[in-house]
Amino acid sequence: MSLSISQRLSIKRFTRGEPPKHSSIRLNHRRIFILPSKGGLALGLVILLMLIASINYNNSMGFVFTFLLAAAAQASTFYSYKNLSGLVISMSKTPPLFSGTSGHINVLIKESSQRQRWAISIKHQNNSDDFNLQPSQNQVISLPITPTKRGWYTPDTITLYSQFPFGFFRAWSPLKFNARILVYPTPADTGLSAPLKNSKESNAAIASLDSGTDDFAGLKPYQTGHSYRHINWKAFAAEKGLYTNEFSADQSATIWFDWAACAHLSLEAKLSQLCFWVLAAEKNGLTYGLRLPTVTIEPSTGLNHQHCCLKALAVYE
Amino acid sequence: MNKSIAPSSTIQPALLKLLLVIAALLVLPHSQHLNPAFIITGFALLAWRALTLWFPKTLPHKLLLLPLSIGLALLVLKTFGMSLGRDASSSLLIILMGLKLLESRTARDIQAVIYMCFFVLITPFLFDQRIELALYALIIFFLLLFALILNNTRGLTLKNTPLLRLSGLVLLQAIPLMLVFFLLFPRMIGPLWAMPDNNTAISGLTDTINPGQVSNLALSDETAFRVRFKGTPPEQKDLYWRGPVFWETDGQAWTLTPPRKNAFERAKAIPNNANDYQYTLMMEPHNQFWVYALDLPNKAPNRTRLSHDHQLILDNKLSRNLSFDIRSSTQAKITQLSSDDRSRALLLPNNTDKRVISLAQTWVSSSTNHQQVINKALRFYNDEFYYTLKPPSLGTNPVAEFLFDTKRGFCGHFSTSFATLMRAANIPARLVGGYQGGVYNKVGNFYDVRQADAHVWVEVWLDNSGWTRIDPTAAIAPNRIEHSIDVSQNRQNGDVNFLLTPPEGFGKWVQQLNWVLHSVDYHWQNAVLAYGPEKQLDFLSTFGIIDWGDMVIWLSIFSGVILLITMSVLFLLHATPKDAVQVAYLKLCNQLAKKIGARHQHETSSNYFKRVNNTYPTDELDELNDLYLTARYGKQTIQPFIDAVRRFKLKA
Repeated sequence: MSLSISQRLSIKRFTRGEPPKHSSIRLNHRRIFILPSKGGLALGLVILLMLIASINYNNSMGFVFTFLLAAAAQASTFYSYKNLSGLVISMSKTPPLFSGTSGHINVLIKESSQRQRWAISIKHQNNSDDFNLQPSQNQVISLPITPTKRGWYTPDTITLYSQFPFGFFRAWSPLKFNARILVYPTPADTGLSAPLKNSKESNAAIASLDSGTDDFAGLKPYQTGHSYRHINWKAFAAEKGLYTNEFSADQSATIWFDWAACAHLSLEAKLSQLCFWVLAAEKNGLTYGLRLPTVTIEPSTGLNHQHCCLKALAVYE
Repeated sequence: MNKSIAPSSTIQPALLKLLLVIAALLVLPHSQHLNPAFIITGFALLAWRALTLWFPKTLPHKLLLLPLSIGLALLVLKTFGMSLGRDASSSLLIILMGLKLLESRTARDIQAVIYMCFFVLITPFLFDQRIELALYALIIFFLLLFALILNNTRGLTLKNTPLLRLSGLVLLQAIPLMLVFFLLFPRMIGPLWAMPDNNTAISGLTDTINPGQVSNLALSDETAFRVRFKGTPPEQKDLYWRGPVFWETDGQAWTLTPPRKNAFERAKAIPNNANDYQYTLMMEPHNQFWVYALDLPNKAPNRTRLSHDHQLILDNKLSRNLSFDIRSSTQAKITQLSSDDRSRALLLPNNTDKRVISLAQTWVSSSTNHQQVINKALRFYNDEFYYTLKPPSLGTNPVAEFLFDTKRGFCGHFSTSFATLMRAANIPARLVGGYQGGVYNKVGNFYDVRQADAHVWVEVWLDNSGWTRIDPTAAIAPNRIEHSIDVSQNRQNGDVNFLLTPPEGFGKWVQQLNWVLHSVDYHWQNAVLAYGPEKQLDFLSTFGIIDWGDMVIWLSIFSGVILLITMSVLFLLHATPKDAVQVAYLKLCNQLAKKIGARHQHETSSNYFKRVNNTYPTDELDELNDLYLTARYGKQTIQPFIDAVRRFKLKA
């Protein structure tokens, strides 16, 4: 994989990182940049002063130690580079989150070169973390994010940097990953009643949606897709196995959340309201469908169904 | 997150302790030459900071530190004035280092303290550049690198072998580049700005000679200069290293007057002769204008001028090690004396004691020529005087008191009184300061002329032979002239031991070791410390590098080469180590490939081994496959597989 000249010389490559291509990135000479840090510039001044003093007194030993310091600073760049090179960075999957709530991006850092790594910092936007790595150690770093826009959230450039060993130079590597995180709209209740269509037993459903109470109807064995909220934990604690609570409303009500029902709201408010309804319906174990101008999701229930609905809301344009 | 990393906002006690030790080690060498007030202040600040390790409440508030800093800065200002010479700057740096440590609370502060330490590290060299001090500084340099790493990794303990090793590695790696810069970085002549005179701790002859003055040098083993002869050196008794020439006396001291206007125009070079002695003289800095040369230098070497009384005069005071190639003739005579010089050389101070004049007159009246007067005077010394380094003290009329009362002294007494007597006898005379003899170093093949060899003698004007050296000390203590003073002996009483016979047995080994040490020192002085602008050009011109442009070009080339070498060494040596199982597996596959052909890309180990088994049936391969799969996907026990591969031999 090679870069064109213009890509190679682009300033963005040094600050924002190369455009993402792979899910994991091995740090090498093309990814690691080294420049003097603030401390390095200060050192330059100190070396200059030492040099002036040595010249002024024509002092051989002064020259020796001035040059030794400069040479040590130069030699340290190799170790700055080696401290980062060979690390393999990837981003692990992050579950969807709601806009406005905080979550984490998880960055996996693999040391596979049998070298100890020191004092590396990782930064994403304004959040950073420091770590050391033992030879062959893998480390997951979680960095908080708070996306404020629904839809696909692409993490910003993740920068690994280190001033190891002397603090004279800062070696850094800006990384961009393909990973996307789905951000659901913020659930918000505007106080509208849920519109119901194609349903004759809507009153009970609306009641349960509004009050959030149901009549317990019994247990059924847990199956993948059942809401975690309805697992009967008491039965599980008694080692009877996983069971899901069934509620009387479950079977009876099928509700449709319709775009048209909140026509007077703004776009985002509509999506927030629909999101709230979907969550509430799922929480109460209702069977619900979603009707958007572009998509229609047939009524169903369960976490997968909820995710489908929320995703449709998240990416709605 | 990771427990081995501490937050950057606090300072590790271990690092702070290390820095306090380093700072104390940095102040220590200054205790010899700086004002004790500043040394004590420096140590006190460090002790204060150390105290805060156990009693954090004693850490001073910034509001207290500010007046303290101002006060201490004023103290430096009051002591040294506005001139920022080496004493002032060293004192100031020591105090600032202590204050900064007291103020330090974050990793960034510590970084600044370490930078200051690097600067303080070179300040002792402004006073003294001995090889021991250089090694001492190298150790501190290493500790400072380690402190830097600790500060930047925020490591919690000092017992960190990988980081210690890293500091050492960086130091070793820095040395080649440092050497290239040391050799090729263009050196500039002269200071960038005028510096205040620093006369501390420099011993040697000064521009005034009192009768008792030389004795404080006589027991000093310090080197004044070193000489290496090309060809055979003269005999020990002829090694008169001629320095300042004194014409004027006030009856007590002889003082050097600056060379007169036409002193350099009137100087006459002595034509070269096959019997001349050629030698290289390596001067230690003595902060004076003159250079010592074997009696008499033919002409002035570089950077000096020859005065009419054959002194070698430098343009600036000698403040660094410098070497001179000199050619001297021991037979040459100067046969002209201007009337002005004659009257200068006959001038007696008004307060000359009558007894001195009458003594001189009795010799004159009983002699037919000047030589006889001189002989009588020398006999007079030989009969009645003693050579001692602890003479009785003299009053306001030292010459008469010495000649007629105490009669004990050394070269200073003999020469000043002798010159006075000669002038009283109407023989032009002048006093010459310098060194006599020197200790020959067999190992390094050079003469080590020490302060103990400081000497004063007299030159008189004889009409037939010109200025003639007369050494009255030789008349009283011939050993002084034929052998050097043994500085290691008799420091207490005034008696002097001379290095008469070569020592035997154990003493011989000691002497040998001494020679080796002095040789090392000689090369240190000659090759390292004296490497200044002139020597750099001398040295580099042998490689065809003759100006700054060349130096800069070669500096870049060598630096580049060194960078490439270190880079390749680092990255080749530290190439990613291969997985041991993989290495063994590939080895096995290679072995099998010779029989059956290489493993196909799509073949698993099981498939491949089965294919081999079809042609060369063996149970071992099945076993190997099991071990390989265990090593890879099972319990990951590596060793059995590696051992099995090592044992495996395919039977054909």
